[in-house]
Amino acid sequence: MSLNMDRDRMAFTFKGGMLPMTVMELTSADPERIREQLAGKLSQSPAFFQHTPVVLNVEKLEEPHLALERICAVCRAHKLLPVAVRGGPDPVKQSAWALGLGWFPPQEASRPRPLESVADAVPAEEVELDEPVDASPEVAPEALPGAVARGRIYRGTVRSGQQVTAPEGDLVVVGAVNAGAEVLAAGNVHVYGALRGRALAGIHGDVKAGIFCRELHAELLSVAGNYKRLEDIDPRMLGTTVQVQLFDGQLSIKPLD
Amino acid sequence: MAKIIVVTSGKGGVGKTTSAAAIATGLALRGKKTVVIDFDVGLRNLDLIMGCERRVVYDLVNVIQGEAGLNQALIRDKRVDNLHILPASQTRDKDALTQEGVEKVLDTLGKDFDFIICDSPAGIERGAQLAMYYADEAIVVTNPEVSSVRDSDRILGLLASKTRRAERGDDAIREHLLITRYNPSRVDLGDMLNLDDIRDILAIDLLGLIPESEAVLRASNQGVPVTHDDNSDAGQAYADTVARLLGEEVPLRFHEYQKKSLLSRMFGGTRR
Repeated sequence: MSLNMDRDRMAFTFKGGMLPMTVMELTSADPERIREQLAGKLSQSPAFFQHTPVVLNVEKLEEPHLALERICAVCRAHKLLPVAVRGGPDPVKQSAWALGLGWFPPQEASRPRPLESVADAVPAEEVELDEPVDASPEVAPEALPGAVARGRIYRGTVRSGQQVTAPEGDLVVVGAVNAGAEVLAAGNVHVYGALRGRALAGIHGDVKAGIFCRELHAELLSVAGNYKRLEDIDPRMLGTTVQVQLFDGQLSIKPLD
Repeated sequence: MAKIIVVTSGKGGVGKTTSAAAIATGLALRGKKTVVIDFDVGLRNLDLIMGCERRVVYDLVNVIQGEAGLNQALIRDKRVDNLHILPASQTRDKDALTQEGVEKVLDTLGKDFDFIICDSPAGIERGAQLAMYYADEAIVVTNPEVSSVRDSDRILGLLASKTRRAERGDDAIREHLLITRYNPSRVDLGDMLNLDDIRDILAIDLLGLIPESEAVLRASNQGVPVTHDDNSDAGQAYADTVARLLGEEVPLRFHEYQKKSLLSRMFGGTRR
């Protein structure tokens, strides 16, 4: 691939990625009330406020104009780093951009198809925003991958259009995953049959997760947001028993023998 | 109580109506009291395939909306006793069907018939879902091509979730695979998916395999279900299919290239 040969000369590469992210869901637009609450939290758990990047979710607010600049200032004063705004009407989007923040569409639009962000990954950084992170240091993003997993076993064929998810642990499919089907897990994905559809492991950002299958024909493989399409997969691996894991940020597909 | 069988596929043009007509005819020829219902409201075709288009007065929508009695709408087949057709409306759309209405029609028919064959419209929307909702068994019609196989896979997913049996947690619908338009020579050349690949992907029992045949086109244009053409390969394949539906063990025919050349000699090389 010519892409690899040019790698030394490239200044950067775009990668899709899903990072755990703290979302600050605003229920009040009043900077003073936000300040009060933050001050309280800061005294409870100072470790959390280490220039933690946050996304301000303003979907629940009614006001078309909110004092975004003041809210950001309040956050920064408490060592929270607003990086983007989610939701809100057009004026909010404009002022977010004016402040150098990113803007994400409201959750409703993206929620029913959580995988599209990975599949059609725009060449930019993706963040996983659906993680409910309470503002307490114990649930800091790093703690998530190691959490004791609750797995799920699915017996039978996962058919086109079906989606099987293990949101908290490993997913074991005793059967095939057909083209047009999706299997997702917070942990590992095991398919004891042919994998013809999409498999996404580590959907909350666990970079140690893997995908294991009897017969590889996957439309898409993804571990913690790093993905390969069928087209990117070495044709020699197709039809074989493989394990898929992340090595140095690269998805590696190896024989499982 | 009658056994309700839906003939479905997801994809259009794969041979649902042809198969529904042929199987219903085959069951009636075997002495089973059978009714075949056209659920394709707005795109009525079954009456043409069954050759009864000139005798349609009332239809399924009329019955559901209380404008006609079931006995007024049922058309008795001219060729086989025991066979009735309930046509679809051509002037309405699928919203004219109600779930309660369909249930009532099926319950009433269930008292008099051994088999109710529901000819599903293409797609996965309301019409197709109503056709499958009350089914006990499903015949999934698939052509040997990737898009058809994928759509059948999708329908199998719906059969396992969007039916009364699935919602009540009763025994699952019995799913049968019916492969139509199978052309062994083109399979041999790699133009078509082969039988084993299809079975491997869909992972359900094979009920029958209907070879691509001129007899099918001729039959549908003449309005005579191909089962009546017992000299044709397709007619025989549908008869085999019906026998398997009735629980008989019948060896598979017409799926191998070698056999095909022998048969084409027997039938004067009409199959290609």
